[in-house]
Amino acid sequence: MNIVLNGVTVAIKSPPLASLLTVLREELNVTSTKVGCEQGGCGACTALVNGKPQRTCLTPIAAVDGASVTTVEGLGDSDHLTAVQQSFVNHYAAQCGFCTPAMIIAATAYLEGNGSSDREEIEEALKGHTCRCTGYQKIVSAVAAAVAETTFDLTVTTPSPNTVIKSGGQT
Amino acid sequence: MATHRGFGISSIEYPTGMNQNGDPSQAWVKVKPDGRVDVFSGTSDIGNGAKTIQSQIVAEAIGIPYDWVTFDNSNTDSSPVCTGTFASRATFVAGNAVLKAAMDVKQKILEVAGKEMEVSPEDLHIVDGEVQVKGSPDTKLGVADVAAAATWTHGVLMTGTGAQLNEYAEITNTLTGEVSGPPHAAISYAACAAEVEVDDETGDVRVLRLIQVYDVGKAINPSLVEGQIEGGALMGLGLGVLENSYPYYPSPDHRGYSIGSYYMPSSEDMPEYKTAIIENPSADGPYGAKGIGEMANNGQPGAITAAVHDAVGIWVTELPITPELVLRALDAKAEPRREGKLIAFDEELSVNSMASGISWSV
Ligand code: FES
Ligand code: FES
Repeated sequence: MNIVLNGVTVAIKSPPLASLLTVLREELNVTSTKVGCEQGGCGACTALVNGKPQRTCLTPIAAVDGASVTTVEGLGDSDHLTAVQQSFVNHYAAQCGFCTPAMIIAATAYLEGNGSSDREEIEEALKGHTCRCTGYQKIVSAVAAAVAETTFDLTVTTPSPNTVIKSGGQT
Repeated sequence: MATHRGFGISSIEYPTGMNQNGDPSQAWVKVKPDGRVDVFSGTSDIGNGAKTIQSQIVAEAIGIPYDWVTFDNSNTDSSPVCTGTFASRATFVAGNAVLKAAMDVKQKILEVAGKEMEVSPEDLHIVDGEVQVKGSPDTKLGVADVAAAATWTHGVLMTGTGAQLNEYAEITNTLTGEVSGPPHAAISYAACAAEVEVDDETGDVRVLRLIQVYDVGKAINPSLVEGQIEGGALMGLGLGVLENSYPYYPSPDHRGYSIGSYYMPSSEDMPEYKTAIIENPSADGPYGAKGIGEMANNGQPGAITAAVHDAVGIWVTELPITPELVLRALDAKAEPRREGKLIAFDEELSVNSMASGISWSV
């Protein structure tokens, strides 16, 4: 078995029913995927599998043989953060940071799926991810800002006319 | 059958720290040869921003940029004693310890700078990483140069230590819990207003808005304070309407066994927050700060309970306010008495009284 982890093909030695979460953390030392509930309930273990967010705690490694797996380690590094990561920094969207890697993965997938900056849509997209610290407000703001940054050039000071900014509930 | 809106308010008074054992926290600080500063403190950061706050205090007290400070509490061998990150004490107690350590090391920096500049240390101060002669800012020497001179010319390691220890509050009366001195440090105050919507058919309570005002003494880092308040607000909302280890079941045998049966607030439960921070400085906290950690989730359950009363006229006296409790209270309110008399029937009580032969003659 092997997976393409953050762009690099790696062979897997763990048994086929080991969870992708265990393989990532114990065999491959990728610790950004967190062990929360191991029941699919908290979202802290989420990684992108073939570009889609997936709970790695509920994913047997054999089921993703050959797949491409992306964790936050594969997004940006401290000198080149992605728009989502930079936005989390700018908005203080982390406190203890336990939920943060998976939140960033979920937000990245949301942006790639052309999610809007509407707060209710962002709340809906993140609802499977428990955060015990932030009260979600700053996380939602970070994602909304990341959407805005990727839909218009930051060097332009006025928003482009194509950018739709919806206000609470009015869609 | 309809939904009803209601408003409620609550207020909180909350102590910082606990003085039964003097509540000690300690820190030490050293200056590296390039003028950068290492802080060793026992107070760890559990997501409350303690690292950031302590680094800010050290930078401010010495007079150097924030990013010159490295905070290390990676192990208990090199870090001094701290009783812990609890009792809302990190900013206040550990903040005082690092403040003292920073003032101590600052004095050492000024002494070495005084020798280098041939000026009395009393006539020097540090502004933005430069030691300047008071009143003549152009006569200056970078802290980096002072640190280099300390290392290579004077053979001095510039360190500072700081320890915070409060007066012991010993219990003098075990019956009343009376203590000999102040039981804690500063007291913080806050108020919370909630707006809720109660569905009288399903018993569902939704919290729409939480408006909160916190007196934190001094907001050393306003973004972190706001984060603490918002995070606490959602925990308080969980306490108020969602979180229960035995959700909806009368017997512990039926308790939830998975994370899915414990209802933690999700992003969709998030109310609209409005937060105001009041700075009413404490007498002895660092820069007037007080603790805000734990009080951040104290106000919401009370405000929500009052708002539910405002909405549908019931006082729910158990938390969380589950749909079941709301519906039972609404039933009791609809028909609380029979023929004007208060008559209650409780199955358990009645079986017990029959089995044990108690006769109720009241
Ligand atoms: S650890 Fe996978 S969802 Fe909680
Ligand atoms: S920041 Fe602590 S759980 Fe989200």
